[in-house]
Amino acid sequence: MVNFFTLVYIILFFFGIFFILIFIFLHYRNSKQLYSNPPIKSYPTISILVPAYNEEDSIEETVKALLRLRYPTNKLDIIIINDGSTDNTLKIAKTLEKKYSHIKVINKPNSGKALSLNLAINNAKGELIAVVDADSYPNKDALKRMVGHFEDHSVAAITSRVLVKNKNNWLSRFQVLDYSIIAWTRKLLDFVDSVYVTNGPLSVYRKSVVQKVGGFDQHNLTEDIEITWHILSEGYNTRMSYSAIVYTIVPQDFKSWVKQRIRWNLGGLQTVKKYWRTMFKKGAFGYFVIPYVSASFFFAIVGFLLLIRLLWVKGSYHLVSLYYTLLGYDYWKYLEINLYITLLLILTCIFFFLAIWYYKIGFVHSETGNKNILKILAYSFFYRSLYLIPLILALYKIATKDLRWYTK
Amino acid sequence: MQSKFRIFFESLLVTVVIFVIAFLLGIFVESLRTNKIIESYKDYEIEALDLKLQNYYYQIMDSQSCSQAIKQNFIFADNLYTKGLELERYEEANQISDDLFREKKRYVLLKTELWLNSILLKKKCNNPFDTIVYIYSADPKTNIQVAQQKVISNTLKSVKEQYGNKVILLPIAGDLRIGNSQEEPFLGSIELQKEIYNISSLPSIIINEKFVLEGFHTEEEIISYLNMTKSTK
Repeated sequence: MVNFFTLVYIILFFFGIFFILIFIFLHYRNSKQLYSNPPIKSYPTISILVPAYNEEDSIEETVKALLRLRYPTNKLDIIIINDGSTDNTLKIAKTLEKKYSHIKVINKPNSGKALSLNLAINNAKGELIAVVDADSYPNKDALKRMVGHFEDHSVAAITSRVLVKNKNNWLSRFQVLDYSIIAWTRKLLDFVDSVYVTNGPLSVYRKSVVQKVGGFDQHNLTEDIEITWHILSEGYNTRMSYSAIVYTIVPQDFKSWVKQRIRWNLGGLQTVKKYWRTMFKKGAFGYFVIPYVSASFFFAIVGFLLLIRLLWVKGSYHLVSLYYTLLGYDYWKYLEINLYITLLLILTCIFFFLAIWYYKIGFVHSETGNKNILKILAYSFFYRSLYLIPLILALYKIATKDLRWYTK
Repeated sequence: MQSKFRIFFESLLVTVVIFVIAFLLGIFVESLRTNKIIESYKDYEIEALDLKLQNYYYQIMDSQSCSQAIKQNFIFADNLYTKGLELERYEEANQISDDLFREKKRYVLLKTELWLNSILLKKKCNNPFDTIVYIYSADPKTNIQVAQQKVISNTLKSVKEQYGNKVILLPIAGDLRIGNSQEEPFLGSIELQKEIYNISSLPSIIINEKFVLEGFHTEEEIISYLNMTKSTK
């Protein structure tokens, strides 16, 4: 009989292979439509909201990027929300406000991004609202490529493809690959109405729907995920424009990276907890998004526990052996690897073959079109393993009820 | 128009097909390994019977033919030991069926028979060789015990490599039951040996039926016990 742990591995591999195959099939079936967007029949009015907290280094460049957007200026206004910054953000924003008539600044005490956005929405004149992080820089045509999707009245939000602006060290270079895969995966999910994140660097929402769902959730650490799930749960669609590009600043050091990912994990888990009752209800959202995201978290945790067990089982032999070495046991003489063909080895090979194939296609569609197999292997085996660290820390924070704000 | 959600069912179908193929391949590879062990067992069973009959003969006849009997005994013991190690490795690798576990019991009984045969031969032929019987647990409860048993097994392997045809090494699982259920009784012949040699914990090593060592002992210690039994012969 198959023992318990082997059975757990088999279940993990089953769902792992199933999910990867979904993405591979989605790619091959829709690859010609990756970059296409619906044509714009009329330009809707858009209010661009830029929430900012201590962004003196980047806000001016962000606003300049917004001013360069190819979109009728009479249909566009920019609202900068200074969320109680303690640096020169407000001063820079006020200078920009004086210089450009369609820029408005709202100054408020620090209370978080969600409340800043909700306050700005009430002041926004546009039919659509675009949210742009104050350290992100949209391409000139980004908005034009996105708004055509709103011709479909079931669409309430559209997100963009986020790329990395700062590529200075190993961590940010890995994030270049990571952001490519994230964007590509999100685009593939678009083909099955399952875009479940409208990212902070650039997303556009139908204002009436955002107001209908009560705005951004101030209690969620990832208000962009939460509002997307809220919109989907109301039966609206969300889309992703792969050709609408926005560059963003990513964490440069490991500590900041872990902090950012802890926030993503915590916010994701908060959102799953809030909406899990909708599982297996309401179309693709209930039948795919919630089970897929929940399963991803669950399997990541189970995978981590299995890894710990494996390290313990294998490691304890080496530790005990090393102890006996002190008593005269020849440890090095008996180091051996028994590599027999087993069911789990077969499944592991299939899983990694599919995963590498999946990443390879994703990288082809990245900005660098990277096909270097060594980079793919380093990304798959090294960088992706690092995902476990913030996940475990996030779980620890949930266990200790430490849910402070994890942005800056 | 084809539904865009059909892709989920197609992916599920392909996943199931991949799993069926992987399972069939896994079962095929495992059955190859099990069959190899079963086939070897059939040969060893005949060899063991032959050896037993030879032993009857040597018990009745004079000790002139001891060297021939010892040679036969060693060849058989060494083959059984090598096959036992292979069986252990196969057992770790087999994840679908537990057929090998059943085979393991047969091998344990065969090794016990060989041990008894060796005792008789030693008596008849004036102790021309040494026996090291390693009684271990087939169902270790902790990782520490698993590791400890592996260390002891390797240490004994090293002693065997040094002494070659002077030592018969017999690793025997000391806690196997007749059936698979926990209610089934333990194998009687092994229980009897444990009682005779007063073995209360596993793993233990019996050296020339005189010394019982519990837990880990270094190569040097085991060799010194072997030498001690020689001096008391």
